[in-house]
Amino acid sequence: MQNDNAMTNAGAEQEDKRTTAKVSGEFVTIVAIFGLTIAMILASRAISPSFGSWSQVETILYLSSFLVFCAFGQGLVILVRGLDLSIASVITLGGVLTASLMNGSNEGLIYLVPMILGACVIVGVVSGIGVAYLRVPPFIMTMAVGLIVYSLCLGFTRGTPRGYPAPLLSDFMQGKFLGVPAPVYLLLVFVVFGTVLQSYSAFGRKLNAVGNNPLAAYIAGLPSGLLIVSAYAVSALCAGFTGMMLAGYASGATLRMGDSYLLPSIAAVVVGGSSILGGQGNFVGTVGGALLLTTLATILTALGIEQGWKTIMEGGVILLALIALREQSFAFLRDVFGKRG
Amino acid sequence: MKLTKIAKALALTALIGAGTQVVSTEEASAKTKDGKWLIYLSLSYSGNSWQSEAANIVKALAATPPFNETVELVEVISGTDPQAQISDYESMIANGADGIVSFPISSTALNRVVKRGCQEGVLFFMYDATVTEQCAYNISYITSGFGENSAQALVNALDGKGKIFLSRGVPGNSVDDRHTNGAMHIFNQYPDIEVVAEYYSYWDDRTTQQETAKALAAHPDVDGIWAQAGEFGAIQALLQANPDRLVPMTGENSNGFRLALANPDYQAKGIDGVSAGSPPAQSGFAFKIMMEILNGTRDALPEDQRNIEYPLPWVPGDAVVLCEGDKFEDGCNAFPDGKVPSSFVTEVFNPELLPELSLTSALEGQPTPGAEIQPLPADAVKAAPNEPGINCRQCEAPADLYHLTKIEPTVQP
Amino acid sequence: MASTQINSGAQSRALPTMRQVVESAFPIIVIYLVMATIYSVVQPSALSLYSIESLFNNSLPLMLAAAGATFVILQGGFDLSVAGVISLANVVVAVAPIEGPLGALANFAMVVAIGLVVGAVNGYVVAYLRIQAIAATLATMIICKGVALLVLGAPGGYVSDFMAYELTASIFGAVPIAVVIAVAVMMFWSVFRTTNSGRSLLSVGQDEHAAALSGIDVAKARFMSFLWAGAFYGAAGYMLAAQTATGNPNGGDPFLLLCFAAVALGGTAFGGGRGGVTASLFGAATLMLMQKVLFAVGVSSFYTGVIQGAIMILAVLFSAFVQAATSRRNTP
Repeated sequence: MQNDNAMTNAGAEQEDKRTTAKVSGEFVTIVAIFGLTIAMILASRAISPSFGSWSQVETILYLSSFLVFCAFGQGLVILVRGLDLSIASVITLGGVLTASLMNGSNEGLIYLVPMILGACVIVGVVSGIGVAYLRVPPFIMTMAVGLIVYSLCLGFTRGTPRGYPAPLLSDFMQGKFLGVPAPVYLLLVFVVFGTVLQSYSAFGRKLNAVGNNPLAAYIAGLPSGLLIVSAYAVSALCAGFTGMMLAGYASGATLRMGDSYLLPSIAAVVVGGSSILGGQGNFVGTVGGALLLTTLATILTALGIEQGWKTIMEGGVILLALIALREQSFAFLRDVFGKRG
Repeated sequence: MKLTKIAKALALTALIGAGTQVVSTEEASAKTKDGKWLIYLSLSYSGNSWQSEAANIVKALAATPPFNETVELVEVISGTDPQAQISDYESMIANGADGIVSFPISSTALNRVVKRGCQEGVLFFMYDATVTEQCAYNISYITSGFGENSAQALVNALDGKGKIFLSRGVPGNSVDDRHTNGAMHIFNQYPDIEVVAEYYSYWDDRTTQQETAKALAAHPDVDGIWAQAGEFGAIQALLQANPDRLVPMTGENSNGFRLALANPDYQAKGIDGVSAGSPPAQSGFAFKIMMEILNGTRDALPEDQRNIEYPLPWVPGDAVVLCEGDKFEDGCNAFPDGKVPSSFVTEVFNPELLPELSLTSALEGQPTPGAEIQPLPADAVKAAPNEPGINCRQCEAPADLYHLTKIEPTVQP
Repeated sequence: MASTQINSGAQSRALPTMRQVVESAFPIIVIYLVMATIYSVVQPSALSLYSIESLFNNSLPLMLAAAGATFVILQGGFDLSVAGVISLANVVVAVAPIEGPLGALANFAMVVAIGLVVGAVNGYVVAYLRIQAIAATLATMIICKGVALLVLGAPGGYVSDFMAYELTASIFGAVPIAVVIAVAVMMFWSVFRTTNSGRSLLSVGQDEHAAALSGIDVAKARFMSFLWAGAFYGAAGYMLAAQTATGNPNGGDPFLLLCFAAVALGGTAFGGGRGGVTASLFGAATLMLMQKVLFAVGVSSFYTGVIQGAIMILAVLFSAFVQAATSRRNTP
């Protein structure tokens, strides 16, 4: 693809010997995005002496984990040329069900957790069927399904979400293990699992094929429809999981708890190097995107300037990151470093 | 094509569905003929418990005798888009509404339709949030000085010095702006008070928790927090960062926050502050004034005097009293843990203005068994000061806009 | 679906007739008329001039925003900056009102200029730096919202009387100006799509490589689409200010998703090449009318969203069905 004539560069040299050019391109994006995040954390020391510390990194990892969970699903949907706008509502659904069904007790968790996630999966399957078989544009299908789910949550709770998540869940989300918040371990496990699923499993490869060229995938005998439905189902599953974790983190649910994840989930995926046109993407990149966005938000919160300027800086940094992370910038760097090497 | 068949069937069902609904509402639109007042309750759902409690209070009152015989209450939820609320107001006016009790989504965008409604003889009663159109009644605590009083309480608790966070509401919102201006009026008088982080929490517990966690990453040594609604999330974030350390903080009326203020463990960890802010009971007060005017037992006010102040709730930590039953009785002002969610907004009652209400009214919208609507006390209606951009457009704010009403400074700047 | 695209693609290379323009927006016009009929039956006062005037005044900002977004979507792009530009235009008009008809024109020039500047940034970044549109315009949307907050920190300001009263009134006491503006946009589109710019826009959306091979400057067509979009968003913010008579730094937020829903309802394909501004205008008008119909038939409780969502899906299915049916008839 675009990276056919990728040349080696300093960062990717060892990789290049045994992998294809495409992987090298993705690898550079990932190195760049993580590098940018680390640079921002170090630079933020200038704002507050407490920044740049391990506890700041912990906070960022912790807070970005929610974004990472739902961005994984969003990434799979984007991989098959879709977009999932129902994420915000499904997060709320997961949270509201977690609080109201668990109702502050550990009893029956074995049944409740699959039930709650199952309800979310059903939402995803509905979206998927609409997109894959009824050919409703993903944008409007998921937006409409999101509207419906939110409205059901509103009616179900009569506007006041009640109850508490199971103590087990709250304790886990708020607990520490070896001095590190427990959800950070969950994040690590999730990243490994997500990467394997998206890039190294048969399921992931098939999704890639459908996203790359639906017609070719169809001719190759892949069940495109089913694969698309499953992408939406996984996305809803991840969103529901995010809602459940958020409810555990906050010991309760609110009806707007998912709102602040919709646009960032898309931004994390795209900043992480996936193409909105499908068939290209890597979960580690998405994780980098999520970390970058969360780091930026953390730093901006601590800045003592007017909200308007903060907002402008937020948009400005995202725009600059996009420009810096695009293929041509790497080509330029490769030229520079290639000549020198 | 299978697809088109499905599409055809679906389209058909939609049309039939629409048709049956048409029939069912023919009857519903002929309401005022049975001699009842047609009152609309127009809501925005920002998604927290506050909105549903405020709505439930009005619903409970409308079902309490004698209103159950005289009032036809229709609830309309307009979401968060001002254009949708404008459209719904227009429809209400067209349907011959006698009165509209409403939480306005925008302080300014609705003015035109409100004015037109007034010309058609519709009474507009806005609760909590306000509109700047003078013909509408604004029943609100906004002018009662939440920002400056709570800021002074925080300054007192901090002895006039320390690093603080401001946990604000929604950027670009007039209510948030008013609260923060009041608070900054106080903080600016104390050079040793340093606002080290200022963030927007959208009046939501979860967002407050996450935003506070971000701010704590930069300033783990914060000395105090001034918060608008969502304050309970700030406590959760503090405990998460350090289970042994809380700081003085002020916030609004969530049950979780009041319980925390009164909790001896938390007090030992350092919490100290005041619970004040927006009471859902405003909606009930607005509704009762409106009904008294409609029933002729109260005179309508002249157009430039329709801003009515709802008293600011003010509960310092040592004044928190748990309610034994389902009402605010014997000076109680919070509910025991487990009876309501921590995000439940406690100020749903007002023994003087709204003796008809009980906890089921606020939670379910049901009338209290045996209750009857009581007339408002003679001195219930207190005029609110003019505040440009809040309750009037081109008007002068009083010179002592931010004077303290609930608390005296214990430290001098 | 595939056959529909190819078919309409073939159509647009020839000079489109008025009939074809109407045809492309045909399903959504039908849906709109059905809804309007239901509304006027349930709510007899719906047909009064005041009702029509207020309905269109209320709908016009969304209609203009959807019209703008259509330009970008037709070439295969995406533009989230709509929410930011509307907010920014809205507050600028409200803090710098100029009285009189000429003042209103000057204000209009200001907002269009704002829209063009933002559009140019979007266009340059997307078309020439080749950044993904959805991410780039997300960034510019955030920046615009920040600037809007700096211009006006809380809802307020006021607009000139001419804007607030004359622009929201009716001509000769019979035709709301909002309707006149909407019709003018439709006419503009029916002319624009026959021009070179219009044709290159559509062909870039249909097949970028084929368009490039046939000598079309793809990057320029993309860039221009963002300019048009920006100008329309500015106009939408302007009409929002006229309708509400004030500025609100968050005024554009509700438009973000609604605007794309309107475009999708109109049947314009995300990914480009098929659809048109006229259809989007009706899509937007339908969404606003839906609010009225739902109120009139008494669906206004917690479950309003269920009905709204279902209607959106059904409307899209209906459009697809009609398009499939007509294309089958047209293709041999």
